[in-house]
Amino acid sequence: MVLAIGVFFVGPFAYVIWRNVDLGTDVWSVLWDRDTLQPLRQSLRLGVAVSFSTVVIGTGLAWLTIRTDLPARRMFRLLSPLPLVFPSFVGATALLAGFASGGLVEELISPLGIDTLPDMRGFRGAWLVLTFFTYPYVYLPVAARMASLPPSLEESARMLGRGPWAVFRTVVLPQTSSAIWAGGLLVFLYTISDFGAVTLLGYDTLTEQIYADKLFDQARAMGMALVLGGVALTVVMAERSLDRRRSQVEVLRSRAPLTVSLGRWRWPCLIGVAAFLGNALIGPVAILGFWAWRGLTADVETIGLGTDVGSLWGPMLHTAQAGLITAVVAIAVVLPVAWMIARYNSRVAGAANSMVVAGFALPGVVTALSLVFWVIDAPVIGRWYQTLPLLIIAYVLHFGAQATRAAHVAVAAVPRRLNDAAATLGAHQPRRFLSVELPLMTPGLLAGAGLVMLSTMKELPATLLLAPIGFDTLSTQIWHAGDSGALAQGALASLVLVALSAVLTWVVVIRRIESY
Amino acid sequence: MLYKPSVPPRLNTMQLPLRIITPLLALSLLAAACGDDSSSDADSSSGTAESITLYSGRSPELIDPLLDAFTEATGITVDARYGDSAELALLIQTEGDSSPADVFISQSPGALGLLAGEDRLQALDRSLVDLVPDGFAASDGTWVGLTGRVRVLVYNDELVDPSDLPASVLDLTDPAYTGRVGVAPTNGSFQDFVTAMRNELGDPATLEWLEAMAGNDSPNYPKNSAIVEAVGRGEVEMGLVNHYYNLRALEADPSLPSVNHFLPADDLGSLVIVTGGAVLNSSDAAVTGQELLSWLLSEEAQVAFAAETQEYPLLPGIDAPTGLPGLTGFAADTIDYDLLGDGLTGTVELIRESGIEQ
Repeated sequence: MVLAIGVFFVGPFAYVIWRNVDLGTDVWSVLWDRDTLQPLRQSLRLGVAVSFSTVVIGTGLAWLTIRTDLPARRMFRLLSPLPLVFPSFVGATALLAGFASGGLVEELISPLGIDTLPDMRGFRGAWLVLTFFTYPYVYLPVAARMASLPPSLEESARMLGRGPWAVFRTVVLPQTSSAIWAGGLLVFLYTISDFGAVTLLGYDTLTEQIYADKLFDQARAMGMALVLGGVALTVVMAERSLDRRRSQVEVLRSRAPLTVSLGRWRWPCLIGVAAFLGNALIGPVAILGFWAWRGLTADVETIGLGTDVGSLWGPMLHTAQAGLITAVVAIAVVLPVAWMIARYNSRVAGAANSMVVAGFALPGVVTALSLVFWVIDAPVIGRWYQTLPLLIIAYVLHFGAQATRAAHVAVAAVPRRLNDAAATLGAHQPRRFLSVELPLMTPGLLAGAGLVMLSTMKELPATLLLAPIGFDTLSTQIWHAGDSGALAQGALASLVLVALSAVLTWVVVIRRIESY
Repeated sequence: MLYKPSVPPRLNTMQLPLRIITPLLALSLLAAACGDDSSSDADSSSGTAESITLYSGRSPELIDPLLDAFTEATGITVDARYGDSAELALLIQTEGDSSPADVFISQSPGALGLLAGEDRLQALDRSLVDLVPDGFAASDGTWVGLTGRVRVLVYNDELVDPSDLPASVLDLTDPAYTGRVGVAPTNGSFQDFVTAMRNELGDPATLEWLEAMAGNDSPNYPKNSAIVEAVGRGEVEMGLVNHYYNLRALEADPSLPSVNHFLPADDLGSLVIVTGGAVLNSSDAAVTGQELLSWLLSEEAQVAFAAETQEYPLLPGIDAPTGLPGLTGFAADTIDYDLLGDGLTGTVELIRESGIEQ
């Protein structure tokens, strides 16, 4: 079964390799070309920088909102995962409109005598935008992990006289490191596969090159896709071997985790968190709100430029449906792989895991085309081409990585001895899994499901190519609006997307992690 | 104490979402499995059908009303999939003979040229191709232009003195324009423009122009609308784009200082880029597909394009959009992609080689 899952996820890689052979690409000459190496270096530089900043911010935010007496922390728990749902081109557009030279912020502050803002284009802008919109990949798994840590170790450390910072560093951090690494890896893979933000901010990465060449120089585009996939596989395997060497901390808590009193740091921390979320979430929402308001109040006659709130109902339902179903299916598909790795340290499962995770770094359009390639003429399943089940499969193929890493962390945290104890009491394996292990994995699995759900809700390339005709999502609506210059309608659809993801994240993920 | 397994199994937390989601999932799968037996209602011998599938590189806002009018006039339903022209071309290429699409409408002639080169498009009836003037359709009749967009130089009239505007796109390489002209070198329209330049001036002169633009530190943008936004903000003074983006931006915010500068009609800088339509080789509803294309070239549809999307109609005798110069005399996109030898690969290679992408 694990092997079958692995083979399923090999699909996109096999497609890229086949295309390279078919087009006769000389991968070596593509790789060693200055025009490939330079973007590749930029991809890696951005990936490492964004991973680093999101790890610091995501971990800090998770600790502050889950484990301290930060004011309004329940509200921050809800808001913190949401920036993930901004399609990166929307986030980048809003940020540019806000901060770029001549933008809204400059208009606001110019009376104060400040008339030049730092240049947002290039590396700095891409790094900032991607940090703002990808840190939830770290935040969610880490928050789920921190919510399920037992208080006893930390209490002991406190009693031995360690201060809060020392306790965090020596007790909390080691117990969450697996989740932190998982999140950082996802951020890295996402960053090297991102197209929307880097292209809008003018930072030339390998993925941007793949998009530029995808139609007219397919041999080179596919060669670079192979390079990107190779880089991703290498990084994933390196992280995995590190993870195997890290001691797995199996912990079970019997009481609610400790709440750390921030003391006089309470208000500075509040200001810091509010300022960060103000930039990552409230700022873009305010700019979108401004555009939407301007459109709703303007008297526009040109076709396609008006606003129509009613037309967003259908896309909203489709978006919710796709997000929820994909989250459940993705968790169900990858759980066996994660379980085999954690329980039996299986090599097959390890290889399957690397495939699942590395696939996330391939640009979405490549994954979508690979599915077309494998499915269109296949018996039986070919009949499902461009239907909802196949679209869900495409999402799972692309976002399986997020579920896998989260599930892996969740499974690894369940003490094996519990399973053994249940066995000596005569429980069968399926029953042991359902009644003992699954409930303990819940927070970690929910975090993974939340990531998959949010990613699916904003997914664009596969949705455009593979959705059943008429299955519009909010993301496709936003894109069409942008394509035809209908700024107000696009902004409106983006706001609906943020609101919908807030509701779903609360109902499906946060409330349950909290009440765990 | 540490590992005390005292937590009671809390199945309830997992069961609730599963209880809601499992039936939802099952229902959706069932609906999908039942819903696809309408795969073909075409009469393959006659090439006609009650409904056809369209892949449209043009967004629904800009074509849906016309498709509805077509359905009303003919009783033929159009199932449309909307996307990016280049990505839809890749989809058609990957689908091969099994493609569900009958008709492809592309905003980029390059994407059509690529599919024609791979023998995915069929020759249209002469009577259909002859509706538009020479040069607005493929010479082998594999696609026909529906509307045109003119390349312009958009500028910010608060930052640029109109007397500083060039008389030709070739003049933009002058050091006076250093850092002032935004370009979108990875965008389809720019690529089509460079292809036309290769056709007109040859590869060495084209490379020279691109290198000079690169040497002028022309800022990069991903697409036309981003350039128009940046010019509106005053981030860059001018930019090379298609005419209608600025018209739409002004509609949304009339206070914007961005203005379209039309270069002389015979200049390469005012190239007309067509949105074209084609019928796929694999279609079993080719006759109906051509019916759709010829309807989009009808007077009714062409007048609607001019009035509502502010594009140039290609059917002779229909007026240009209000307030725009007439199309007569503009350099048409007369590229025969096959004659370029290495086709469009050469274009992206030249663009890359020049260093204009930064």
